[in-house]
Amino acid sequence: MFKRSMRRCCLLIAAMALISGCWSSKEIEDLSMYAGLALDVGDPTPLERELERKGATYDKKNQITATIQIVPAHSSSSNQGDSSTKGKVPEFLNTTETGDSLFEIMRTYSTRRERAVIGHHLKTIVVSNRLLQKRGIDSIMDFVLRDNDIRPSCVVFVTEGRALDTFAKNASGTVPAQQLRDFLRNRFRTNRIMEGVNLTRLDALMRTRQSFVLQNVVAAKGELELSGAGVIKGASGKWIGSLSQTDVESISWIRGDGGGGAIKTYDWRGEPIVYEIESMKSKQKAKITGDDISFHVEIKSEGRFIENWDIREDPSKPKYMEKAEQLFEERLNAMLREFMRKIQTQYKVEVAGFGESLRIQSPKTWKKVKDRWDEVFSEVPVTFDIDLHITDFGSSTK
Amino acid sequence: MWTKVLSYIPDWKTFMQAGLVLLIPLIINFGYNKISSLVSNKNNPAKKTTAGDTTAPEEPLSGEYERDLEFLKKTIGTSSDVHFREFQITGLNVRACLVFVDGMQTVDFLNTHVMQVLMREADPQLREQGRALNTPEFTAHLKEKILPLIDITEVTEKLELTQSILKGFTALLLDGMPHALLVGLPNGKTRAIAEPTSEALLRGSRIGFTEVLSENTAMLRMQGKSENLEMKKYVVGSLLKKNLVIAYFKDIVNPELLHEVEDRITKIDIDFIAESGYVEQLIEDNPLSPFQQVQNTERPDRVINALLEGRVAILVEGTPFALIVPVTFSMLLQSPEDYFERWMPGSLLRTLRFFASFLALMAPALYISFISFHPGLIPTELAITIIEARQGVPFPSLIEVLILEISIEILREAGLRLPKPIGPAMGIVGGLIIGEAAVQAGIVSPFLVIVVAVTAISSFSIPMYSAGIALRVLRFVGMLFAATLGMFGTILFFLLICSHISKLKSFGVPYITPFSPFRLQDFKDLFVRAPLTLMKRRPEMMKTGNRRRRS
Repeated sequence: MFKRSMRRCCLLIAAMALISGCWSSKEIEDLSMYAGLALDVGDPTPLERELERKGATYDKKNQITATIQIVPAHSSSSNQGDSSTKGKVPEFLNTTETGDSLFEIMRTYSTRRERAVIGHHLKTIVVSNRLLQKRGIDSIMDFVLRDNDIRPSCVVFVTEGRALDTFAKNASGTVPAQQLRDFLRNRFRTNRIMEGVNLTRLDALMRTRQSFVLQNVVAAKGELELSGAGVIKGASGKWIGSLSQTDVESISWIRGDGGGGAIKTYDWRGEPIVYEIESMKSKQKAKITGDDISFHVEIKSEGRFIENWDIREDPSKPKYMEKAEQLFEERLNAMLREFMRKIQTQYKVEVAGFGESLRIQSPKTWKKVKDRWDEVFSEVPVTFDIDLHITDFGSSTK
Repeated sequence: MWTKVLSYIPDWKTFMQAGLVLLIPLIINFGYNKISSLVSNKNNPAKKTTAGDTTAPEEPLSGEYERDLEFLKKTIGTSSDVHFREFQITGLNVRACLVFVDGMQTVDFLNTHVMQVLMREADPQLREQGRALNTPEFTAHLKEKILPLIDITEVTEKLELTQSILKGFTALLLDGMPHALLVGLPNGKTRAIAEPTSEALLRGSRIGFTEVLSENTAMLRMQGKSENLEMKKYVVGSLLKKNLVIAYFKDIVNPELLHEVEDRITKIDIDFIAESGYVEQLIEDNPLSPFQQVQNTERPDRVINALLEGRVAILVEGTPFALIVPVTFSMLLQSPEDYFERWMPGSLLRTLRFFASFLALMAPALYISFISFHPGLIPTELAITIIEARQGVPFPSLIEVLILEISIEILREAGLRLPKPIGPAMGIVGGLIIGEAAVQAGIVSPFLVIVVAVTAISSFSIPMYSAGIALRVLRFVGMLFAATLGMFGTILFFLLICSHISKLKSFGVPYITPFSPFRLQDFKDLFVRAPLTLMKRRPEMMKTGNRRRRS
């Protein structure tokens, strides 16, 4: 009697284990990953229009167009065993959907692609400036920040034009979404590349309602270039204009966080001479007298005299070096002036980290002004003290 | 107010779940106890059986040549291998008989030292002695003056005589002498001392135990002279009796441990001990555990080192494998070479082994949970490659892993059974061809081949073969856990193993003792092998009598 009940018990337990099977398991090959997300103003593509005309539509107002870059593109096993295709860069597939909610669009992809998309490997988000002009960045990014799958390390870019175009196929065959993220690694070579704004930082910037800049992407004929930055106004969260490549350089000089780069200027004969940045350091000092705030920025840099088109000059002469130093300093000063003019009078935003220094150096003052910091800053005088030092002239005297 | 209270009372579903949470552990516990009581040894009454002890009533030889010979022929003479060589001692005009088992002594020796002496050379001397064969003087004379042998024993009991003959002694019966003489020691064929094949070392002695108990104990003695190395003999097996020796240092070993070992060995009740594995299984603490609680080794140096740590060794006749008790988890990953090499390489190798055993246990489970449950945890580039590689694979990852793991296990088993020259070739052919062909055929992904290969190689790096088997068994369990619950299941599985081995004991010593119970002192010989100058004390866990390793 006991034995039989025991046997039944065992059978039951075995059945429980077998029936439950593989809970919530999803094989990786049945999924596909999106590496990039491009957000545009709602404007259905011709393909979508055709699909919609044939009845593939639902109740929506077409506010946003989202393109996801799916890797890998292959869904069939046709290339199996072909070793020549192995090791080549993976191909991608762009899928565009238009709708009102980003999440709804994400789920709509499942009606168009056989493998469900997962967000764990999202690397870059590109937002078009037109969408950012229409809607604040908080509402656009809400789903991305809320979603559990998407990693906070994902980097955000803006583009002037259609964000969709930045994901076009290019000659090198790389995945543009990955390529964009990898561009950021080149910061040690040029200070025209900003430190990438990932979702964690974006969240912080948005919540404090401060103005900030996002790296701008330019796309032409499938080629991508990082160029300048888009300015997001803190109060509204909207795009208000763009900064040039030199402005981005200026920001790195003021913050002192550039890894490398060059200053090019022209000497008295109009010939180009170039300074290679080896190190840069800056100190933003806030001076508060009563209600008046002013900043003094000390910039120190060491570098190399790296290129000289003026063959009549001898770089080994200290006198010439001193003159060259001065020329470079003048050039940098001009750059910074131009940048300050842009942010103080043209855009009336503060994006170079002055607010941060004020917050650290004088928290009381910061508390008073932080809600209208952009306006306050546009009246704040900023002085610069630039000290460039040429350490050497490379391995050639001529 | 009551309605408010009622609204907080959960519905029947929650109660049901709570009940299940209570019931399931109880059922598992009940089932476990039931099964373990089936498996474990019934408590036998202690039954002391030492060397000379026999259960049969003692019956002396009659002293009459004819009757004794008749008795021997009746009891053991029916076997074809028992030889009776009858002859006449001419000087005495007395009949004599040599009784021996064929193949267990040197015939030359018997010819020259017994037969020749008795039949020819000893004639005059024997004649002098007269015919008083039944006096002790005659026996003494025979022993002292005539037979040029070291070992001559008188046997008077019938049973002792038959058993000695079967053991390989040669018995000499003389007409008129009241007892038999054992001339000629057993000298069965044995093999030469060879390098231990299951535990080969690059550096260290090349000596390994053999099948002869006396040789094995001699090997232990040869490691160094000490009056404290004590050996005790037991007889095990009820039908076929075998000698068993336990060895220990009497000033080091913990007396309680020694008593426990002796107790368990006397309780062994089985008709025949074919190998020390029988002893191992009959004295271990928990037969349901996948982990071995007794270590087996072929190496005398390993045994002597264990004895110096306060452990006890058990040597069994007829097998080159000695047993060491108690065993702790860390011992399974140690090799004598750790101590022979300098401490830094020793430590590196040891940490490597810990890592390898982790891989051998978990790698396929991790693969399954990554592939089937957590694609987000794989680096993007790798994830893309895996997706592309797995496009044509028709099975879920569990089946895929099982296919390859099982075929590897079969290969390994087949390689063991094959004759030596074919074995390695078979391994290479099987491994390469099955792996490559399976990938080509799209049954498995190339990535999995790497995982399985890494797992197999890792499991080879475990110095104890039987510990490796335990991990191989557990690996499959881990795979099932991973396939059901993903990473959660894998961690659950790991915790389950941890809780099991932390409960496990080997002869009263906790299995993972430096970790739990925590003993900081013993960490010097765990992940790292501290320099010998720092290892001044014996392991704390053994609670030894003599704690210091230095004089």
